[in-house]
Amino acid sequence: MTNVEPTAIELRQLSFQYPNGRLALDAITCLVPVGERLAIVGPSGAGKSTLLMHMNGLLPAAPTNTDAEVQVFVQGQGVTRTRLRDIRREVGFLFQDPDDQLFCPTVREDVAFGPLNLGLERAEVIARVERGLAAVGMADCSTRNPAELSTGERKRVCLAGLLACQPSILVLDEPTSNLDPRARRQLLAILREFPGTLIVATHDLDFVIDLCSRVLVLESGKVQADGPTQRILSDPLIMDRHGLEVPWRLR
Amino acid sequence: MPARDAWTESEPRTICDLMPAGLKILLTLTTIVAAGLIPLEHWPAQGLLLAIVFAGLSLAGVTMRYLLRRLGLFLPLLLVFGLSVPAVQSGDAAWSWTISLWLRCTVSFLAGLWLIHVLPFPKLLTALRRWKCPLVLIAMLGFMYRYTFILWEELRRLRNARAARDFGRVPRWRSWTSNAQMIGLLLVRALERAERTHQAMLARGWDGSVRFLDADD
Amino acid sequence: MHIRDGILGPEVCLIAGTISLGAITYSLRRLRLDLADRAVPLTGMLAALIFAGQMVNFPLLGLPVSGHLLGGVLAAVMLGPWAGCLAITMVLTVQAVLFSDGGLLSLGANILNMAVIGSWGGYAVYSTVRRWLGNSPAATVSAAVIAAWLSVLAAAAMFCIEFTVSSRSTGIDWRGVLTLMVLYHALIGIGEALITGAIVSYVLVRRADLVPSVNSTGTASRIGGFVASGLVAALAVAAILAPFKSELPDGLDAVSQRLQFDSLEIERPALLLEDYEIPAPAVSWWPGLSVSLAGIVGTLVVFTGSVALAATTRRQLAQVRVTDGSHAGS
Repeated sequence: MTNVEPTAIELRQLSFQYPNGRLALDAITCLVPVGERLAIVGPSGAGKSTLLMHMNGLLPAAPTNTDAEVQVFVQGQGVTRTRLRDIRREVGFLFQDPDDQLFCPTVREDVAFGPLNLGLERAEVIARVERGLAAVGMADCSTRNPAELSTGERKRVCLAGLLACQPSILVLDEPTSNLDPRARRQLLAILREFPGTLIVATHDLDFVIDLCSRVLVLESGKVQADGPTQRILSDPLIMDRHGLEVPWRLR
Repeated sequence: MPARDAWTESEPRTICDLMPAGLKILLTLTTIVAAGLIPLEHWPAQGLLLAIVFAGLSLAGVTMRYLLRRLGLFLPLLLVFGLSVPAVQSGDAAWSWTISLWLRCTVSFLAGLWLIHVLPFPKLLTALRRWKCPLVLIAMLGFMYRYTFILWEELRRLRNARAARDFGRVPRWRSWTSNAQMIGLLLVRALERAERTHQAMLARGWDGSVRFLDADD
Repeated sequence: MHIRDGILGPEVCLIAGTISLGAITYSLRRLRLDLADRAVPLTGMLAALIFAGQMVNFPLLGLPVSGHLLGGVLAAVMLGPWAGCLAITMVLTVQAVLFSDGGLLSLGANILNMAVIGSWGGYAVYSTVRRWLGNSPAATVSAAVIAAWLSVLAAAAMFCIEFTVSSRSTGIDWRGVLTLMVLYHALIGIGEALITGAIVSYVLVRRADLVPSVNSTGTASRIGGFVASGLVAALAVAAILAPFKSELPDGLDAVSQRLQFDSLEIERPALLLEDYEIPAPAVSWWPGLSVSLAGIVGTLVVFTGSVALAATTRRQLAQVRVTDGSHAGS
């Protein structure tokens, strides 16, 4: 059977156990078509971050070598040790704390980190850095020390660093945490412009309504609900059962 | 933290900013070596060096207040150190050694102050790269620079949290243990953050080889 | 603790700098093998941590000055001797170049004393003692305390050697300087030992998995570690003896003449202690006595502190085990 729609990410019975034995993910199966904007919601400890980290091969810590045991597919390719580099080029990952991701002394160097690792020519790297910073509205901050920037500005610089690698899929872990309303709106505007696939793990349900067309509810490592945003988020049974609340806008 | 955090390519404010980094370092080291080699008998030469260093400091825009403050912190210990010889032994030889020590240490210290004013951190890193310093070391220095700010901020927050709990005076030994615990907590958080940062580096294609944007000039 | 410019002669600084450069290069190579692609973030962060930690004031009873962490042994305990050496080297470099806190020319000597002897040497003592005492958390704390004390004293001895080799004026009795330095370092050493022990204890109780084990791979490295820790201990003892030995400068003088330092002299008289002045009897005994006292008292304080910290660690770990069934301790 052939898939008509190309698949960005596919999870086949994905399971994952923490070192202390606790089951973090329990046989998760999910298909994310190209161009979709998917939100993953659920109570704390549901396994959202763990799930996201499988999408660019950060987990499992020791990836398999053979296709036979692979449970995560990116653009149709299984995530194996040999393909990690290519996978990470396709999948941009935004961490929750921008200070974990902004590790260079200047903004410019940090945005250039990804393109440099891709082995691009210097002129191309500089061009991508400028485009990336322009896309997030931080073009005039390129020589600043990240310590001088606000949380929202740092988040945008992190995003610029990801966009400079030109990924086709963006995975974001709690992108709006610690952002004031203006920074949140700016982030929303930037993400709306992104042409590729978006996967967002978040508690911010209003953000989900503004950005995402599909919602996946995760609890105890299992998919509890999966469907269009409006339907899932406005269903009080689903929301209450899994530690969430129907957003005000949908009541 | 140094007052100037000049990553931006600003206009050269003083004539000292026009010199290349290597020259500045060389000048400073030469001054220090010269101060170390001049014997006390040639004290006019030391005086001349002192005058040159003062001239350099004023050219670099160092204020007298800053200078006095730094000297105020530096000189007392130097004085005590120097006095340890005449304390044991009386006579000319001891005193001439002590005065010679005071002079050359002061000249060297002031030369060092000049360098920190005219050489911003990024220029130092660039100079190190030009001199074929291992790239790994330069990357680590850059990291250290970046994360020192973050750790200072965390330390400040930990101190405030503790101050909010210490209503009255705390006995000295107690503050020792809580200071050690603060550093311990900072250490744990720092290493956890380093692991997360490593993950973020891997996510952006890091494979252990260090690459820099700017080519060597 | 940070040697200023002008105290050591340029030739000694050059030699110390060359040795340090070799040590740094070797550390870099071993670090890449040890930590691979984690080397940069972990070592950079460790350096930032030591740098930040050095700013924390530990007030001394009644005195206007305060103590600070040095961090050589702490760095080595957390990430191994290679990362420890490099982290301390970076801290010293930034302090010298950005804060003028420590000499520029004597940076090499500072690195030799605090990063090589302090971290490498400290780690050798730490790993040897820890293996002797067994690998329990209490043993780890005690080993760290002892290693910190001995490595600071060894660094003091190294400074005495550097100072004596570089200072060649006639007829000067160096015992005052050496005594002052050894006393100063003994005080620092006690503080360093207790602070390091307290920090390691804290980390062990909360995140024991962050403190690596010292099971080395081969007998060669075990023997090497044993020899290195023996050297450090010997240096530490030498520090206490330094103000006693008046024939020490003679030996070093012979060495320096053989290496033809004199040819670098510009009108400096050669170091021969023929006209060595015997100081008045009233001052002849205090250097030796004070340093011996410092050595004995310091060792007692450190030993007591090590036992106390080890006991505290055991007690706190037991409490954690009681409240939380699964414990990540070793």
